[in-house]
Amino acid sequence: MQQDTVLVVGGGPAGLAAAANVNSAGYKAVVVEKEDVLGGAPILSGYAKLVPSGEWAKDAIGRMVKRVEDDANSTVHKGAKVEKLEGEAGNFTATLTNGESVQAGAVVLATGFTHFDSINKPEWGFGTYEDVLTTTQMEQMVASGKIACPSDGRVPERVCILLCVGSRDRQIGREWCSKICCTVSANLAMEIKEISPETDVFIYYMDIRTFGLYEDKFYWKSQEEFKTKFVKARIAEVTASGDGRLLVKGEDTLVKRPIVIPFDIVVHAIGMDPNADNPEISQVFGVGLEKHGFLERAEQYTNTCGTTRKGIYSCGAAYGPETIDDSIAQGAAAGGRAVADLHALVQKAG
Amino acid sequence: MATYAEMQQIFDDIRGDFRYDHELNGCLNCGICTATCPSAQFYDYSPREIVQLLWTENVEQIYDAMQEKIWACAQCMTCAARCPFKNSPGGLVAIMREVAIKHEMQSAKDVLRPFGRVMLKLITTGNQLSPDMIQPDHFPDWGPNIQKVEGDLRILRKAIPVKTLQTVETAWEVSLKTSVEMYTIWEMTGVLKSLELMDENLFDVIEDFIDEKREDYEDWLEEQEEEDDE
Repeated sequence: MQQDTVLVVGGGPAGLAAAANVNSAGYKAVVVEKEDVLGGAPILSGYAKLVPSGEWAKDAIGRMVKRVEDDANSTVHKGAKVEKLEGEAGNFTATLTNGESVQAGAVVLATGFTHFDSINKPEWGFGTYEDVLTTTQMEQMVASGKIACPSDGRVPERVCILLCVGSRDRQIGREWCSKICCTVSANLAMEIKEISPETDVFIYYMDIRTFGLYEDKFYWKSQEEFKTKFVKARIAEVTASGDGRLLVKGEDTLVKRPIVIPFDIVVHAIGMDPNADNPEISQVFGVGLEKHGFLERAEQYTNTCGTTRKGIYSCGAAYGPETIDDSIAQGAAAGGRAVADLHALVQKAG
Repeated sequence: MATYAEMQQIFDDIRGDFRYDHELNGCLNCGICTATCPSAQFYDYSPREIVQLLWTENVEQIYDAMQEKIWACAQCMTCAARCPFKNSPGGLVAIMREVAIKHEMQSAKDVLRPFGRVMLKLITTGNQLSPDMIQPDHFPDWGPNIQKVEGDLRILRKAIPVKTLQTVETAWEVSLKTSVEMYTIWEMTGVLKSLELMDENLFDVIEDFIDEKREDYEDWLEEQEEEDDE
């Protein structure tokens, strides 16, 4: 019976929330995850403490994974992708790359995003200098409990975080704000200072977007309690000094002069790209992409969980840069909407 | 000092340029243009400031920036390559310079005066620069490197292994036909008009020279036709 089953593609926060909601309505969820573990970006990239709860990613997302894996109404396929989808709303048949076939009445695409690859901004030194890192690498360092320069293990005197790396940048076709990097960076600065009190953290920004309740909890707190220095400047380039430090060139927009400042570690606050698989996802599932390459929403107000194809829903970062919390809320909504539509379909047929 | 109406007219001319909206999309005040600008390292010049003045339509400060600041830009366009909004501060400076010329601003005349020599050389020989122009007092910015060309230019020229006509008055020969075509281009693109606004005496000299060359060219064409008829 496919009309009691929802196929959930992607096992990150959004997909796990969708599956759990499908299960709680008494329907079956089949989760297909292309990686070998569930949990999505927070687990795969080894995030440290999550914004805004402050809980460790492995604990918080771990609970979501356990909830789905422990449910008798859930089936999980790891290390598999959907390679073909036939049928229509209420009656889909998906063929997986592991040879299995799934009958489902609805599909939820919780396919998320891909981290921006800093190699695409070579002037900022990633891939050239060992001590230039991404926020995900810095999160891993925080999770390891020791702050040190990868090049020689010394404790950094000064760390800077460059915001909007791979976001808000027409030069490389990323015309979106990745939404969460400001808050994540303010939080990361506090985590660095907590572990390594002798390290000073500077954040270089174009605008600070610690929206909603993140303002005092992260932006203000990072300055007031952890002495993070926020400097309004977009960095032009990162080079090396003779003594093994990194030189960061920018404009001090307050005094209106170009400046060159030494740092020990430079962190790129990398943005969210559309999932690199989106062209394939668009073809396999027959759904449209919006102009930036994320999945296109059916309609903003009355079908917010829909895609351009009936019976296929989406949620979270598949639609555009999204926080973990909102991805979870959208995942739950998409799961709920999918079973509600299936229920209506059965009623009509009955 | 210009009146407010004059300054407003100058800004309107800048904003009215067909390139303006392409070069200026908005500004986040991030400063990457000034951070990357080689001129900003040495002069009281900031591409971000130029963009901000235009974006906020500050006609008085725009007029002020046109007195000196805009002439510090080297037109390297690194700012345009870096701007996350894809603005071109250097492109805006180019427009401002053209408007400064159109309005016969003294700053433009002062800055461009030394280039009269280059202009004359260009019109008369088709070369911007010839070896005999490279003299120490003309190129103070070369520093000690100028010593390298202070010797006997004729002999140094002969040492160059490619064809240089063995002369020091021109860099290479430009044919009469090419020269006449260049005059047409300069006429049609407004270069000669700009020259007239900036330096009338130089313009008169050059105009006479161009007329002469054009006559030469006409004569040459007639000779060719006569030869063909024979």
